[in-house]
Amino acid sequence: MKKRHVAGAALALASVLVLPSPGTAQAPEVPRTAAGHPDLSGIWQALGNAHWDIEPHAARPALAMEPGPVVSVPAREVVAMGAVGSVPSGYGVVVGGEIPYRPEARAVRDENRALWLERDPEIRCYLPGVPRATYLPFPFQIFQSDARVLIAYEYAGAVRDVYLEDPGPPQVDSWMGQSVGRWDGDTFVVTVNGFNGQTWLDRAGNHHGPGMTVTERYAMVGPDHIMYEAEIDDPQTFTRPWSIRMPLYRNIDPNARLGQFKCVEFVEELMYGHLRRNPIRVREGGR
Amino acid sequence: MRISRAITCASAVLLMTAGAIEAQDPIPRTPDGRPDLQGNWSNATMTPIVRPNGVGLVLTAEQVTALEEGRQDFIAQDYEISDPDREAPPEGGEFTGNAIFDAATGGTGGYNQFFVDAGDVVAVFNGEPRSSLIVEPENGRPPPYSEEGRARLRARAERDGQFGAYDNPENRPLAERCIMSFGSNAGPPMLPNYFYNNNYTIVQTTDHIAIMTEMVHDVRIIRVGERRPLPDHIRPWMGDSWGHWEGDTLVIETTNIHPEQVLMGMSNASFRPSEAIKVTERLTRVDDDTINYEFTVVDPLVFDGPIRGEVPFERLDGLLYEYACHEGNYAMENVLRGARAEEARERERR
Amino acid sequence: MKKRSTIAVGTALALLVAAGPLVAHHAFGAEFDRDAPIQLRGQIVKLEWVNPHTWIHVEIEKDDGTSEVWMVEGGTPNVLLRRGLRRDCLTPGTEIIVDGYQAKDHSLTRANGKDITFTDGTKIFLGSSGTGAPYEREMMAARRAQGRC
Repeated sequence: MKKRHVAGAALALASVLVLPSPGTAQAPEVPRTAAGHPDLSGIWQALGNAHWDIEPHAARPALAMEPGPVVSVPAREVVAMGAVGSVPSGYGVVVGGEIPYRPEARAVRDENRALWLERDPEIRCYLPGVPRATYLPFPFQIFQSDARVLIAYEYAGAVRDVYLEDPGPPQVDSWMGQSVGRWDGDTFVVTVNGFNGQTWLDRAGNHHGPGMTVTERYAMVGPDHIMYEAEIDDPQTFTRPWSIRMPLYRNIDPNARLGQFKCVEFVEELMYGHLRRNPIRVREGGR
Repeated sequence: MRISRAITCASAVLLMTAGAIEAQDPIPRTPDGRPDLQGNWSNATMTPIVRPNGVGLVLTAEQVTALEEGRQDFIAQDYEISDPDREAPPEGGEFTGNAIFDAATGGTGGYNQFFVDAGDVVAVFNGEPRSSLIVEPENGRPPPYSEEGRARLRARAERDGQFGAYDNPENRPLAERCIMSFGSNAGPPMLPNYFYNNNYTIVQTTDHIAIMTEMVHDVRIIRVGERRPLPDHIRPWMGDSWGHWEGDTLVIETTNIHPEQVLMGMSNASFRPSEAIKVTERLTRVDDDTINYEFTVVDPLVFDGPIRGEVPFERLDGLLYEYACHEGNYAMENVLRGARAEEARERERR
Repeated sequence: MKKRSTIAVGTALALLVAAGPLVAHHAFGAEFDRDAPIQLRGQIVKLEWVNPHTWIHVEIEKDDGTSEVWMVEGGTPNVLLRRGLRRDCLTPGTEIIVDGYQAKDHSLTRANGKDITFTDGTKIFLGSSGTGAPYEREMMAARRAQGRC
């Protein structure tokens, strides 16, 4: 996109704190771009425990359990983690409380839970998909100009180029989907589809299919807060569209920066250790 | 009235001048007046990083034509219709005579050329068709290793020598492990890999530049402003970058690059950076379709002198797509299983 | 096709081959066994348009009448997407011929797709490289008439 300005005439700040215009008495004071949109640029992160389980849940000893003499106990693969491997409680981010699964899809979710160690793509450092990427316990950074929007996630270096012009339906499926964004007043609405169906929604086995469409809404409710909502529409998996909602918090630490979490090398022993010339541990049957 | 006419004349002159200034600015700018570097860009080219024998920096028109037509012929050959009644390929492999192709495929023939987009034009920088991306040292070749560089290289070879090439996933190249791209697309410096997906998306805000490399969806985040140094022991794969503007040129400085990184890959200038590495990049948008990219690599614990290069980044008329490498990496499993199978066959032979 | 002079070829190759060792993309020669050539003729049953390599699953009929599925490795789909790849370009059920070499682990029915064609010998994909060369335009028009990409 071409922008032509007379040299020297337009050294205005691109990001300006403006008061809400008359007629929009509720609009908060937020930084804005030259075109007047709320400026979402910055480092953001979700609080809370949605990444463990997006539904309301009590704390539990571990994600992988096996029968014990009295009650279920952490599975042998994780028992050494102790309380570090325990699941904290969460008040849930699903609007309405419960995910409206089709019965066969709920059965798959329960199977995912039972086989968490084998199936959770996060364990293998696979790209997290949307919306899971938003509420992983890692920050992400939004780069927003009036021409482009890019979201870079610390986890696994995941990235989304949010197109401001719709290029048409994606012709191959992907982990992070194809994102197309537009402004609805002061809310940035992103439609995401073209998923390969292999991502999860959290560590609790909540899943979806390749036909899912996610509609995200990013609304700045203050200079350091975004109210984030994601509607999930996947008729093959759920009986109706449903939403999650949570605040996103700007990291205001002046030293904040995205760190590096290129976890591919962290999982090589897990995924390929048995193929070493001299494996260092014997694989347990079935895992 | 004379005064009003004078004012009208003056206004007209001002308007004309403003129009003239606007017309003279060849490059797009962001609202804060900086050159707009945003868009999708490609550094795909036939021009290698290191200069081959027998040519100077600037190629003649004849040389350019020969190269580009030769590349077209090579591509067109693969477009030809195959014999539907053909036999299976020969046992022992098939070698084309193209050294790069044969090295990459090991005689297996790889895959069809329609999967390849290596760049079929010579790099033209400031109007000059170039024989190499390296411009300094003047011969277009990397400088000799420093004494410390040679010592470290020997130590590394000794360390690596205790392993077979396929003993462990950690013994495989970074690209095969899907940690970084082959070649050095993300760098820095950002260089083509001579095979495909040599594409970048640049997004620019007032205080950040984000450069997304298609290979392997790596994002370089450059904060425009004061440097905030990372401690020595923190060395991200693409290092730590900070930028500032010098007139209409964005200058990016990078240190703290991961010691296992391979920079300037796909050339015999490739090297692993030391703790002293410093890469300086200069990006200047010269017109709608071109960013002039210049880089300087300084690493006294590797090389005896600096390496400077010039690479045209051309506007890409197309999208970048997700390159989720690790998620689809059957190749790693195939390579390791293959090595174990060969070892088993070898044991049986004895 | 233009004839190339030997001088031009020499220069071309000299520039293509940067002197010295090459850090290859990955060792195809390590993955596939050049002493185990294969040729597969069968129907596509699955397409994995993934990176770093596309995998085309093709079902063949063995001599004993049973069927077997082979995975054939191609290149990056990203290049094809920029050359016009669409979901309907290549679909399960399509008959193809594959030349290649089997994976070194012979227990795997996997091979590289050195040459993948339709049963009439034309390549399975030929999206425009954007050079606009005349031979390309004619070829693309003919292919589109056949419902191919």
